[in-house]
Amino acid sequence: MHALIQFFGDNAHLLLSKTGEHMELSLASIGVAMALSIPLGVWLGHLHRGSFVAINVSNIGRALPSLAVISLGIAFLGIGFTNTMVALVILAGPVMLTNAYVAVSEVDADAVQAARAMGMHPWQVLLRVELPLATPLLFAGIRTGTVYVIATATLATFAGGGGLGDIIANEASYGVAGVVAASITIAALAFAVDGLLALLQRLITPSPLRHRADSTRTAASVTDLSLGAS
Amino acid sequence: MSIGLPIAAAAPVIPKFGHASECVVANHQFCGSWFVDNFSSRFLPPLLVHIELTAIAVGVGLPISFAAALLARHYHWFETGFSLFAAFLYTWPALAFFVIMVQITGINRFTAEIALVSYTLLILFRNILTGLQGVPPDAVEAARAMGYTQRQTLLRVELPLALPPIVAGIRIATVTIISVATVAAYIGAGGLGSLIFDAIGTGFKTEFIGAGGLAVLLALAADGLLVGLQRAMTPWARRSIAR
Amino acid sequence: MLDRTNRRRPTRAATRYLWSILLVAAAVVVLAACGGSSSSSSAASGGSSSGGTSSSGGSSSSLPGKGKPALTLGTKNFTEELIIGELYKQYLQHEGYTINYKPNIGSTEIVDKALTSGQIDAYPEYLGESFSTVFTNHKVVKSAQDEYNTVKKEYAKRGQSMSDFTPFEDTDTVAVLKSYAQAHDLHSIGDLKKVGTFTYGAQPPTLTRFEGVVGLKKLYGLTKLQFKPLAVGLQYQALDAHNVDTADAFSTDPQLLSGKYVVLSDPKHLFGFQNVALVINTKKLKQLGGATFLKLIDKVNALLTQHSMIALNKAVAIDKQTPSAVASAFLKANGLT
Repeated sequence: MHALIQFFGDNAHLLLSKTGEHMELSLASIGVAMALSIPLGVWLGHLHRGSFVAINVSNIGRALPSLAVISLGIAFLGIGFTNTMVALVILAGPVMLTNAYVAVSEVDADAVQAARAMGMHPWQVLLRVELPLATPLLFAGIRTGTVYVIATATLATFAGGGGLGDIIANEASYGVAGVVAASITIAALAFAVDGLLALLQRLITPSPLRHRADSTRTAASVTDLSLGAS
Repeated sequence: MSIGLPIAAAAPVIPKFGHASECVVANHQFCGSWFVDNFSSRFLPPLLVHIELTAIAVGVGLPISFAAALLARHYHWFETGFSLFAAFLYTWPALAFFVIMVQITGINRFTAEIALVSYTLLILFRNILTGLQGVPPDAVEAARAMGYTQRQTLLRVELPLALPPIVAGIRIATVTIISVATVAAYIGAGGLGSLIFDAIGTGFKTEFIGAGGLAVLLALAADGLLVGLQRAMTPWARRSIAR
Repeated sequence: MLDRTNRRRPTRAATRYLWSILLVAAAVVVLAACGGSSSSSSAASGGSSSGGTSSSGGSSSSLPGKGKPALTLGTKNFTEELIIGELYKQYLQHEGYTINYKPNIGSTEIVDKALTSGQIDAYPEYLGESFSTVFTNHKVVKSAQDEYNTVKKEYAKRGQSMSDFTPFEDTDTVAVLKSYAQAHDLHSIGDLKKVGTFTYGAQPPTLTRFEGVVGLKKLYGLTKLQFKPLAVGLQYQALDAHNVDTADAFSTDPQLLSGKYVVLSDPKHLFGFQNVALVINTKKLKQLGGATFLKLIDKVNALLTQHSMIALNKAVAIDKQTPSAVASAFLKANGLT
């Protein structure tokens, strides 16, 4: 324990720079994944089209072995930042897409119908009714994907992508204290970002909807959802 | 040249080791014929080891999770503790878990198996528990009313009704273990990951694609098989249950 | 309700039943692990299937290895070590020894720890690595023999012995793309001072080694060096892709034969002399026959000249033969098996 605290103290600079690399990679991957998956999932859910693909793509995404995807990435894209980012996008995108799809398509049909009956244009239905109601599940997918990316970015060390994995894969130089320190940092980052997203979710969710039971859905319970959906 | 050993009277014979095709030497994207020629000697054994690792992890994790879930039904502290541990393990990088365990139990497959079983546990425990908790109390009451003992109730009523999330859990666990097992190669567990680390050492693109591709195919095949199993075992549960 | 009351008060029998399931399952874990670890890690190097029991050749009944306890032989995690390990393993097996082969363990620090903790009995080590990394000497030595003598004494204090060392040596070198060397007029490592800030790619442990980044900064004054960790083997790809300016290359790497790269000279001998010798726990050595055993190792070592080692490396790294096949062919061609 003492060695651990000492490691944090002696190597603050190293940890900081590695954390920077780690977060740079993670955030870029999360950003791209969201940009690709969320609009697509929301749009498909709104149209109630492509349900088979949209729901099952997350199963495939979850099944992909992360190191294997990185391995394929190295073969096609070489080593470095890009390859690892692409791999992480492939790994995290699907769960975001599926959640976005299910979130929007499972919105209470009555609410949607009522909105249409009031004469709302499809865009307005999406923006004013479906999306707000879909927020909890949508965010659950984003949070699951985010935590997954931050934890998996550890493997970037094998593809020359840097990050805290460099410390973990190098027990020879940094000792167990270093490995534990880096791991704690990663776990802390994951929890912190997840917490921030939860906060953001609360802020975005319109107040009447904030106290609904399923707005407390955690990332883990999304697993239940995809169980049922298969 | 140094003095260590008397230089042999004649220089050592260097046999013809056999040249690889131009594709391999130049490290083109994928050398199909090399892959096919070397499949059974280089790729198949690690693939089998990988399957073995997964099978052992899930095979051992299942009864332990089951017993743990049954215990958790009676002792609530067990469930909370276990769930906390599970949440913790999900954010802890798998690589670090392996590296730390090596300090305790050494660099071998046993260490890897312990870690893999742990991952199986945290997935299966939750699913089995959720499944058992999701059984309608009416069904249990009816069974008790008919005179079933606790064990009979469990085996004949609760388990069958809890099957969907349990089988789904086995599926998720299997796929997760296949993924984590590739990383386990880092501490000497063998399997397809060892080929990937080999490839990292040589930059051989065909090996990257071969090993990575095989791991992906293995995972998808396992997933597909288990989906089929899930559907076959629970025809009455096609519609989603947990919301 | 019947159900709830029952849940809150499990019968003694039920609880005992549950705990016994847990115990049985735990026992299964242990059994599976024992079964698993005995079919050990020889598959780790991608396909070599000789899992480590007795010999294939040897007609005479008085094979030196017969009746001796098993030797656990480890290697580090790169091609050259894997080849040397296979050479030792196959020849020893031919001479009747039982070998538990544990290749691909890790870097110097990790393998040395495996040695001192008894997880392995022996492994091939480079003199300079022993001198500088294992025993943390930061002096510069004058010859391989000097280095060997120093290191042998230090190992003896720890209870380990050494074979004689190979004719070839494989030092770390600083390699750059030819174009880079020409652009900056680089011939020796010290010339890198002219460049100012530059990146140096090497495996992670290099960062804290004297025969690594520490020495490059101290001995050659390359304070503006920026370290970029690379898994072993990625350095040539990294150079080609301009991800790093300079990289740590091994002097017997066959990639260096291609002409694309320039190796900067090391006039201050920072990277020492890197011939290979087998390091083995003395107690185990005695059990295996002491000097007789070492003579066998020396027979293999004598064959490893600079020329032959590079050829062996090339066969594995470039022509993608397995270390096992290459070692086998080499031993046969030289009459050892």
